[in-house]
Amino acid sequence: MSAPLFKFGLFGDEFSLLVAFGIGIAFGFFLERAGFGSARKLTAQFYLSDLAVFKVMFTAIVTAMLGIFYLSWAGFVDLSLVYFEPTYLLPQIVGGLVLGMGFVIGGYCPGTSVVAVATGKLDGIVFLAGLIAGIFVFGEAYPAIASLVNATSMGQVTLPQVFGLRYGLVVLLVVLMALGGFWGSEKVERWMAGKRAAEVAQ
Amino acid sequence: MKISLAKRSREGKLALLALGLGLVAVTGDPYGGGAVTINAQELVTMVEKEVDHVTVQELADWIIRKRSDYRLIDVRDAESFRTYYIPGAENVPVSQLIDYPLARNERIVLYSDGGTHAAQAWFLLRARGYAGAKILLNGLEEWKDQILFPTLPEAPTPDQMAALRRAREISAFFGGQPRNGGAEAAAFAMPQVDAPAAGPAPAARKKKEGC
Repeated sequence: MSAPLFKFGLFGDEFSLLVAFGIGIAFGFFLERAGFGSARKLTAQFYLSDLAVFKVMFTAIVTAMLGIFYLSWAGFVDLSLVYFEPTYLLPQIVGGLVLGMGFVIGGYCPGTSVVAVATGKLDGIVFLAGLIAGIFVFGEAYPAIASLVNATSMGQVTLPQVFGLRYGLVVLLVVLMALGGFWGSEKVERWMAGKRAAEVAQ
Repeated sequence: MKISLAKRSREGKLALLALGLGLVAVTGDPYGGGAVTINAQELVTMVEKEVDHVTVQELADWIIRKRSDYRLIDVRDAESFRTYYIPGAENVPVSQLIDYPLARNERIVLYSDGGTHAAQAWFLLRARGYAGAKILLNGLEEWKDQILFPTLPEAPTPDQMAALRRAREISAFFGGQPRNGGAEAAAFAMPQVDAPAAGPAPAARKKKEGC
């Protein structure tokens, strides 16, 4: 048996929607269990007092990367059939900045705002309403910004292709980056906690 | 430095595991590199059952019905391709086939002048796991003989009339003409083809997916 299961015709369009629904529910559940349904928890990372978001996300990246790497190396996944977003460098940098600003101001990112709505948080509902309004504004403004949205197209590229490195070497580098990040974030958290304690003591 | 695993926290163990997996990964290539494994029995069975080819009649029918669920690959050199190609074909010489963007679940029809180069390309693709690769049976020779310049009987029986009309229509569709009697196919001028597009656009063919 080979994955991607859908591409190899193991199930059809209808069943794939059910699978997507199941995965979506699980995704939301684990976001909530990680505490990401709370804007306080999420924004704490921008004040460097709690870097759980960074750690959880990077752990997810490393887990998924190693899993996909070894499964396809062993021949269970045909990586050439796995879809990933094409790269548009400039618009994606701009989009990342806009998303980051929204994240700091609103306290959620798109996925976590839905989780917040599911647990009945008012600020989550407001955020989600803003998100939907934003989609609408983007759609209406699309003719005016189409040239930016489609600028600097690089096609479907991966880091090994862009840098001309061995695929496995990039895997190792990302793992090292994550471990270094975890170590550094714990340091930062301890340093911030110490600073806060000193402020309180004064 | 302490290496003892038992003394480490759960996070520490997981970090070591990730580091180990990352180190082992350096030697690997998830795309399989250039090495392939061949299931000889499977290939033999396919050849025996003749499921590995498409006839020129089938292909002509697909083109006329504007089917888009297959890729037609011309493995001849670029010059031959410029002179004539079957409508919809993409020119990929065998040497470039490995790097060409094809998906393993696509139906891929390969053709060359006769059948030899197409068969080599077919073997290359099948060995690399392209399950949908097929050969156009007897290649362009057959295409000329049966589709572009079909030989029609001088005095058709009423039974043959429908098939004859169909052959004439197909031939005209592809810009050829039926020949009568013993004329050689080579004596006819090949139909003019448009200059091939500068490379295919596989990205455009892809259905938009993702979140």
